[in-house]
Amino acid sequence: MNQLIPAIRQEAARILQEDIVDVVIGFKAGTLPLKAQPAFITREEDARKLVYNGFCQNNLASYLTRRPKEERMGIICRGCESRAIRALLLERQHDRDKLYLIGVPCVGIIDWRKIEREVGENTLQAGEEGDEVIVSARDGEHRFQRADVLHDSCQRCLHPNPVGTDIVLGDPLPEGDTERAWAPAIEFEALPPEERYAYFIQEAERCIRCYACREACPMCYCTECFVDYTTPRWAESMITPSGTQAWHIIRAFHQTGRCVSCGACERACPMDIKMTYLTDKLNYDMVQQYGFEVGDSEKAQPPFAAFTLDDKNRFVR
Amino acid sequence: MNNRWTPRIVVFQCQYSLYCEADQRWMDTQLPPHIKLISVPCTGRISPLFVLNAIQGGADGLLISGCQPEKCHYKEGNLGARRQLDEFWRFLTYLGMEEERMRFAWIDLSERGRIQQELADLEEAIRAIGPIRRLVTRAIPVGENP
Repeated sequence: MNQLIPAIRQEAARILQEDIVDVVIGFKAGTLPLKAQPAFITREEDARKLVYNGFCQNNLASYLTRRPKEERMGIICRGCESRAIRALLLERQHDRDKLYLIGVPCVGIIDWRKIEREVGENTLQAGEEGDEVIVSARDGEHRFQRADVLHDSCQRCLHPNPVGTDIVLGDPLPEGDTERAWAPAIEFEALPPEERYAYFIQEAERCIRCYACREACPMCYCTECFVDYTTPRWAESMITPSGTQAWHIIRAFHQTGRCVSCGACERACPMDIKMTYLTDKLNYDMVQQYGFEVGDSEKAQPPFAAFTLDDKNRFVR
Repeated sequence: MNNRWTPRIVVFQCQYSLYCEADQRWMDTQLPPHIKLISVPCTGRISPLFVLNAIQGGADGLLISGCQPEKCHYKEGNLGARRQLDEFWRFLTYLGMEEERMRFAWIDLSERGRIQQELADLEEAIRAIGPIRRLVTRAIPVGENP
């Protein structure tokens, strides 16, 4: 991944210099090790600040709907980001002509929580060397295999290569394994109902309702979310079982046929609540029922928008 | 389960749903007290939030009844509802809800007495599995309701 940095900087500088875009959205080194932060580059000379490594955690596609509509944006996008952008374009959230997408294949995001669990909170410096992640802490140097410390969503990533971008930097990677991708949802479904319910309430009850998952998600862009709605109040806004469960269920359900499984919600969660098992199930159902996968096509509407007369299911005649 | 327990049932009914006139009058005037009727403009109006609110509020069973596919007043409202609500219920089942608690019915003008039959079937199925215990967060615990 690191070896792509010069090419990214060069391309970003070029599109800014040739006035193709107003801003390039990418990552710059953060103030803490293990955490890169999103960067908005508007001047050509600032393009040298851009970095690209396994510590880039955010899904940059979420800025597509959070920045002005008329802005021309260059976005450095990985597989999940490019698919989220496709889904957003399908929902007419931006004009494709105003976007310049720089595609980069991705080998996965490193989960800082997994490293922190091993090393503790005293990380001084972190870097990558091939398949290894090297972390220097006060008590010395720690080396991890990259595959072991990848974020869960990235371990079962299906599509590491960007789609529909203007340019692709770097060589394409092999596509992910379908079986591995759907395994967690299938395994969870095989559990007895009481265990599934117990797991769900145990995860949901830790929620502090900060809505970081919503803010991190590229597909959550409603100006007024259902939980902020007060007349009528659809879901309780307090940290009650009723409120947190409703939030987790409906947030996930609103992603049906739209979620790109990037796992940005889980990475953003300050309480380390697992929630991809919810959206994974919905995505899996969409594949099974309607053969739909987000971002596969530029034209195909998500299943809930493309209903037909001859669906077969539990509505009995 | 004690015999005094009566399941609470919520019926979401499309206002254009073509029950025959006698059934419609029965729904409006003679519905037993443990069945709550919620009229919606179209099944497409039923947001998953409505269903979740009914469940959290302690409904033991849900019946969603709408028009036949080709006969929607709004052309295709019920087709959208079919995909959404079917998937939503599958999702709640994934989280541990019993599948039998929700039923869907598309009822035509010619089917007199069908709605009563559907409700009776649903009630029987719910009596077999007992009161709802999961996801009920906003209601009085079961067994004590009239």
